[in-house]
Parts: sequence; structure tokens; C-alpha cells
Amino acid sequence: MPERVVITGIGIVSPLGSDNDAFFRQLCAGASGIAPIDAFDTAGFPAHRAALVRGFEARDHISLKNLRRMDRLSQMATAAARLALGDAGIAVGPANRDRIGILIGTAFGPTDVIVQYARTLFTKGPAFVNPILVPNTVMNAPAGHASIELGFRGINSTVNQHAVSAEAAIAYAVAEIRNRRADALLAGGAEIVSPFLFESLLRFRALSPQDGEPEGSRPFDRRRNGFVLGEGCGILCLESLASARRRGAAPYAEIAGCGWAGGPCSPSDWPRAPEGAILAMSRALSAAAIPPSLVDVCQAAANGSATLDAMEARALEGVFGGEAPPAIFSLKGALGECFSSGGLRAAAQAMALSRGEIPPTAGLREAITRLPVVQDAPRRQPLTWGLLNGISFGGSFVSLVLKRATGEAVPS
Amino acid sequence: MNPDRDKTRVVVTGMGTVNALASCVPDFAAALRRGDSGIGPVTLFDTSAFRTHTGGEVRGFAGPQAVPQGFRLKRASRADRMAFAAALEALKDARLYPFPEELRRDTGVGIGGGAGGMLEAEEVFRRHLFRGAGHAPFSRLSSLYCAATADLLTDRLGLAGPKAALMTACSSSATAIGLARDFVRDGLARVMLAGGTEPLCRITYSAFNALQAVDPLHCRPFDRRRRGLSLGEAAAFLVLESLPHARERGATIYGEVLGYGVTGDAHHMTAPDAEASGAIRAMTAALEDAGLPPEAVNYVNAHGTATPANDAMETKALKAVFGRRAYRIPASSTKSMTGHTLGASGALEAVVSLLAIRHAFLPPTIHLSEADPACDLDYVAQQARPARISVVLSNAFAFGGNNTTLVFGRYVPEGIAHA
Repeated sequence: MPERVVITGIGIVSPLGSDNDAFFRQLCAGASGIAPIDAFDTAGFPAHRAALVRGFEARDHISLKNLRRMDRLSQMATAAARLALGDAGIAVGPANRDRIGILIGTAFGPTDVIVQYARTLFTKGPAFVNPILVPNTVMNAPAGHASIELGFRGINSTVNQHAVSAEAAIAYAVAEIRNRRADALLAGGAEIVSPFLFESLLRFRALSPQDGEPEGSRPFDRRRNGFVLGEGCGILCLESLASARRRGAAPYAEIAGCGWAGGPCSPSDWPRAPEGAILAMSRALSAAAIPPSLVDVCQAAANGSATLDAMEARALEGVFGGEAPPAIFSLKGALGECFSSGGLRAAAQAMALSRGEIPPTAGLREAITRLPVVQDAPRRQPLTWGLLNGISFGGSFVSLVLKRATGEAVPS
Repeated sequence: MNPDRDKTRVVVTGMGTVNALASCVPDFAAALRRGDSGIGPVTLFDTSAFRTHTGGEVRGFAGPQAVPQGFRLKRASRADRMAFAAALEALKDARLYPFPEELRRDTGVGIGGGAGGMLEAEEVFRRHLFRGAGHAPFSRLSSLYCAATADLLTDRLGLAGPKAALMTACSSSATAIGLARDFVRDGLARVMLAGGTEPLCRITYSAFNALQAVDPLHCRPFDRRRRGLSLGEAAAFLVLESLPHARERGATIYGEVLGYGVTGDAHHMTAPDAEASGAIRAMTAALEDAGLPPEAVNYVNAHGTATPANDAMETKALKAVFGRRAYRIPASSTKSMTGHTLGASGALEAVVSLLAIRHAFLPPTIHLSEADPACDLDYVAQQARPARISVVLSNAFAFGGNNTTLVFGRYVPEGIAHA
């Protein structure tokens, strides 16, 4: 019998701060982390806004000795990992460190370091590059740094798969725990905004504003015109239910099923055909052994991109077009499109289920779908089953089914 | 025969590769048996300003001509094209090309990446720096990240199964093969195309030179005078399939993916833990996953990068896992022939392991003439040897302390663990 997998800890570093409770309350209050960019100059560009991490002091979470070797992305990931372990009440030590690991997703990785390295290489030459930068140019730097700082030696891997990186890392971690290869896994994603990344996405005409519309993130909205870039890190502490029970830990939620799919798509485009999304959702529901009609809430991947939102609306209508569709919401109006900060979205989902409250879709005024999208105010209702979608350009689809933890997990 | 157990068994039914020794698997096998060296002058870009000038470059790679026109790979990177060439060879080898319609839904791709489209992205950086943003061909960034290769494969072949793209430096494609095997074993896919691709590029080449980790001539794994690795480029893919499915369609079975283990050193970002704990635990976990005792192993395809640190650490790890018997288990580094192909190395060395099983030979560690006293095992120095091999351990130890070990076995109907 495979193990059941629960979320026992949440750690976040986000545009809405690093406190779990404050993060969720702000989302429910309709707050948005999107603001004019102050970290770098956007004067020559058509776009000027992003959801940047605020109020994050790396040295509050990381030893000075390790901190000075870390790039910004690794700092955020390591901090969130520490917060997740703390939230879960797990202390890493010789007795458990070989059974605790990390699975992180990142779409673009440490672009600040990569560009800095490239600049030196191409302007001054190979003799001038700084070797200290080298280990921080790779996608698996954050997971490596986090393990060194926090001491866990179990499974350590990194997913590098565009906007599903975090969802895929979480699904991968769920499978590893089911297969008893680890007792606890830190799973989620991390992303940073850097000037070159911002500029590149502008060049690909991926960012808002477009089509003469005002700049902004408007998931599912009739006047959506591209996504607004975000950054941040969300890490879940996943454990087997058995392990959580042994420790007396109260889970936020169970991850009851995961679905993976590919679908037809041009490599640098959002998918236009709904088949992949429908397949991922169906596979996740099937893995959780529930029909679509039991789903209470679905967190969409929609981010304000013309193609993506339209496709996902169709896919959702395809899966849920029956009598009592779930409430739909997207957090990308509040958090921007953080690519691998799908961990943040999963964290919000777990908290939503646990509190019976669905945050509104910030940025949405007039929805393009007849499905019930939560907007303007949070929706309070008892929630048991939640679906979360990850969809990337290039055509990767990962859906997760979360179930509210009931009293059973807390021992008498 | 045990039908319940067979359902969880995953076999290899096709292989493909492009690397410094060969552009197809049969030529690769022949080159490995001869002990050819693939390390030579790098011509892909100007290395005059770099500390070293050699590497395992894929020579005579036809690029656009290597892949049929219908695939429309115009904006694809070198890494993508090498991947396609290797993936198509694997599919043809498995008799799954043209790809059967009825399998598309349940076939996915697992890829382990490295620098991806960085060779092409370097041009974007350079023009941006020297001629301004307006002259930078940003469209060439579309294939920068390794997921783009997986996206191209699934889009062009029409695959709808699970797609995963991992990047853990030198262990990327080893882990990708393990994950792909899990997808098949756990019933999420019937067939998985699993592998990796890694191009030579200036950024990677300079990075390893900046770390002073590159041998100026060619790598000499386990040798007393070893000075570092030789960088290489390659693509390699396996077709993984559930055993019942392979039998049902009469596929040729090259071997079985018996298990894998993944651990973290939690020690240092570039240097391996000298105590070898991470490596020992990865090998131990892999054997446990395979349900095999260490005694079952008769060949180790070592990580064997020829850095002073790795080879000593790995020798220590092998002794810890195998005890006295380590002295009787041949362990060679085929990086001596192909170079260290980083993100592709796990998949490339998986192909090596399966060829060793299929053709009953031990690939050599070439350029090993005087072993380091701390490295005193049988590394199959200089020359290949015939040997009947049933179980191979393949190691991949990466930056960030990411360790992956894969276990491959000869295909035996009742299963090696139960034979």
C-alpha cells in the first residue's frame, strides 16, 4: 500500500511577505504584490511593474558563513526551506537527516548570476571570470545551498520545466514519499526577477501591456493583455501521513493525487489546445479517486495571457461543465506570474482548504467564462477537495488534487 | 514468471546516441571496445583565450541534416538537434517510429538537461553587450532551458504522457532515467523516452577552467598524475517500457532498469564530501531499490571524472559498499573516452552500461597508465575485456552534492533478483 502524503509545513518568501497567516489574509483581502519596479531601471521599456519580494532579510534565516556564498535565488529558497521545516516542527539531525530531502523547481534559475558571469566572460575574457560564481550559475544551486545550510542529506533534485517547475517538483515529491524513499521532503519552487529576464520576456511579447491596454495582471479578464512578472518562493514540507501521526503533527492538507501530461504546443507559446490541461486534471482526479463533481475549488494557472486564459477556461469547462462546477480562482493577479512560485499557490490552496476561504481573483473584472470565478471578495464555504493547475508555455501540464485534512490526522 | 511482479518491471527496448566517439549506437559500441579516444581540439568555438583547448566534441554532426525535415527544428539549438538525432535512433531501434498513434497518449518524455541552448544564447549576450539590445537576437533564447528539448520532442511526436525536465548538473539525465522508470513502473506511462543532451559552449568551458578542474590534454581517471576532467558533449536516449508491454509487442529487450538512488551530500557546492557518504548512500539506496545485494554487481560504470577529489572519493565509496569484494569488481570510467558530458552523462553512461551487458565486455579506462595508490581497484586500464555481465551500477555525482546511482541488469525472464 503506498503511503498517503500530507502537507505539515509551509515556508514562503513572497511579494506579500514571509508570514503564512499574513500572506493568506492579504490574499483574501484582495491585496496585490504587483507594484512599480524599483529594483532596476525600466525607463526604456513599455512595462514597469512586477511582483517583487518585499521585506525579506536573508540574514534572518541563514548563517552568515553560508549566506555570503549564496546567490539571491538560493537565499530565498534556503530561507523558505528553513521556514517550512520550522512550521512543520521538524529538527534535522543525525537520526533523520538521511530521510529528509528537497525537490525544488525553478524555471529560469539564477539569471542574475548567469548574466553577471557572461558579462565578464565576453567583455574581459576567460581569465577574469570569478570561479566563486560558477556553482551559483546552475539550476540546482538553491537545492544544494539549502541542504548545506539545513543539513538534510536525502533525495535532492531540481525540476527545470518552465511554469510547471514547482507543481512538477511537488508531484515528484509526492511519488517519492508514496514509494517510501523519504520520510519528509521539502517541495516547491523558487524564482527571481532580474533585468535580463524582464527584458527577454518583453522581447517575446509575453508581458503586459499589449494591444493598447493598461499594464496589469488580469487573469480570465476580457481585457487581459499579458502577464506581469513575479518572483518568490513557496516550499511545502511533505510527509507521509504515518510519519505526521507518529510526530503528532497536524497537517494542513493531503495531496491526494497528481496528474502529468504533455500536449501539442509551440515551444515558446502558451498551449492553445485544451487537451493537455484536460488530461492532467483528469489524471489527477483519477489518482485521487474522485469524480470532477466532488471538487469544491479549482486554482487556475491563468495569468492574464490571452492564449493561456482562454485555453484554460475551455479546459475547465470541459472537465467541470456539468451541474455544480467548483469555484475557480487565480492568484496571479496578486502574485504575478512567478513561474516556479507554484509552491506559493499550493501553500495558498492548502490554507484555503483548511480555513474554508477562497481568495478572490485580483485583477479580474469581467470574466471570459461562465464558470464561477471568485472575484472582488473572498468566498467562505466549507471546502474539502481542491484542484490546482500548473500549465507552461511549451506544453507541460501538472495538476494536483488537495484534500482538507480532517481531524483524523491528529492523534488522540 | 510472476505476472504481478512483471507489471512493475521496466525494460529498455531502444537506445540512441550522438557523442564524441560516434553518431549511432553500433559505432559507439565498436569505439568503446576499441578504446578510442574522443578527446581532441575543440573547434566549435575559439578556445585560444581559455586555459585549455581540448574536449569531447561531437564531430561531423550534420546539425540540420541529422534530423528529417518534417520536424521543423529551424530555431532549435545544437542540444535540441543532438537530442532529436539520439531520440529518433532510439525510437527506430525500438521499432516505435513512425510513432504509433495508439501509444501517444501513454508515452511521455523525461529529460535531464545541462546548458541547453546556451551555445546559441551566448550570441544573444554578446550582441546585447557589444551592439545594444536592439541587435540581440532574443528569439534564440527560446531553446535556452532544457525543458524546450522535452517540449519539442513531445510536440513533434504528438506525445501526451508525463513530461518531466530535470536539471541537476552532472546527475541530470541519470535522475531523469530513474524518474521515467518510476512513471512506467507506477503506471503513469506505458512508454517513456528518457535521456539527456549537453552541448559544449563557452560559458561551460570557461566555468570548469575557472575552477581549474580541466586537464590540459585529456583526462586520466584514477591515474596518479590526473589533473582534472575533459569536457564533452553528447545526447543519449533510452526507450523505457513496462515488461508486459515490451513482450506483447515482441520488442528487443536490451536490459532492465532495476533501480536507482538519489541523495544529497549537504557538504559543499563543488567539492565532493571526502567521506563519500552521499555516494555510498546513493549506491546503497539504488541496490535496495533494485532488491539486490552488493554481491550481485559485476561492473561499475564509475563517475570517474579524473578530478583528484572525485576519483579518490569514489574509490573509497566503492570499498565501503562492496567491502573486500570491491577489488574483484571492475569499475571503469568511460569519460576517459567520451569526456564528461555533464547533463547528458547519466544517459550516455546508461547506454554504455547496457552495451556492456549486451555485448559482454568491460569498457576500458583509457589513459590510465599509473594508478594512484589511493585508487587501487580494477579500473579496466587501457583495454576492454570480455566479461559476462549481469548487473551494472552506474554513478553520477554532481555539483551541489547531487548523487544518483542507477542499477541496470541483463534481462532475465524471472528477474535477476529471483533468478
